[in-house]
Amino acid sequence: MSGHHPHEDAGRTTSPYAARIRAIEALLLEKGVLTEPEVQDGISYLEARSPANGAKLVARAWLDEGFEDLLLSDAKSAARQLGIDPEHPAEFVVVKNTLDVHNLIVCTLCSCYPRAILGRPPDWYKSFDYRSRAVSEPRAVMREFGFELPEGVEVVVHDSTADVRYMVLPMRPSGTEDLGEDELAGLVTRDSLVGVDVPRS
Amino acid sequence: MTFEPGDRVRVLPSKKPGHVRTPGYLKGKAGQIESLIGEFPNPEELAYGHAGLPERPLYKVGFRQADLWDDYEGPAEDYLYADIYEHWLEPGEGGLT
Amino acid sequence: MGGSPGGPIDRSQHEVEDWERLADAINSALGRRGLQTTDELRRSIESLENYRDLSYYERWVAATEKLLVEKGVLTTEEIDDRAAAIRRRWGGP
Repeated sequence: MSGHHPHEDAGRTTSPYAARIRAIEALLLEKGVLTEPEVQDGISYLEARSPANGAKLVARAWLDEGFEDLLLSDAKSAARQLGIDPEHPAEFVVVKNTLDVHNLIVCTLCSCYPRAILGRPPDWYKSFDYRSRAVSEPRAVMREFGFELPEGVEVVVHDSTADVRYMVLPMRPSGTEDLGEDELAGLVTRDSLVGVDVPRS
Repeated sequence: MTFEPGDRVRVLPSKKPGHVRTPGYLKGKAGQIESLIGEFPNPEELAYGHAGLPERPLYKVGFRQADLWDDYEGPAEDYLYADIYEHWLEPGEGGLT
Repeated sequence: MGGSPGGPIDRSQHEVEDWERLADAINSALGRRGLQTTDELRRSIESLENYRDLSYYERWVAATEKLLVEKGVLTTEEIDDRAAAIRRRWGGP
């Protein structure tokens, strides 16, 4: 099996579905439908991915116009250039925030998210409330995250309805001219990559 | 491809049952083609174990938020994009550019 | 879903449990093997009658089970039996 967590062995898991997926795993392995290494790879795949990957892409784009161009035209190639494996059948597209336009990403139909880059989406992104309201009241949603857009900025919502996964390239905060690439990456939060907020400054 | 960037289109109001990737809130709404994303197997058929071939064109389609929601709180320029399959689109007012 | 009335967004994050990681992993492994597509999983999730009563990963598990049974890979009975045995091992009912 793929490892028993003591939490589950004590029966303290929060859901009856925990035993069901363990049962499914056991049966699929016994019948040779899947192998143990495949299941382990599946677990490692998401664990190895996190918003830090997105932050790296953004920081490099802030420092290098050529890289920004690549990120906006062929995001998977840009990811590979930084050693991030973007392998996934879906397209990966990065949309840029400017002084005039602020982007917000949602998947109203399910929970499409650039998992190959950023890993698992947060619970709120998958919630019915976010999926319902991000398209019809994006400004109110951003306000809930503590972010108020300046006057005159247009909001553009991207509903990931098909074979594209989106990530936001936020604007570089002012006053960061002296920061190095790693420090810049440290300002880029996961929420700013979805667009409900902006980077730290 | 039937559509070009800039073409005005309308999302079909179809109530087709089963798995579709066209959200309810866009059905019957007028928008504009932003770009052709590419061609992909039809998800409505993949969802039932079929091959979904031939591949269908997928477009990035833009909508004015003011056209989508009666009580939209925000400026007229606020916009929304969704990725819609060609077979869910028909030419909109003003026809094709 | 999009545009439906909604309430304040709960921004808390639950700690992902091992069974939830396993749900992700089983689905991606089945996908890589060509045994299941994302579209099939989505369709299966959408067809769950108790969609609104289940948590995110509970929906995934229920939908995956539904697909595996539909395709004749597993039966509901053998999943029931094995799940019961696992719960007994965990010291539950």
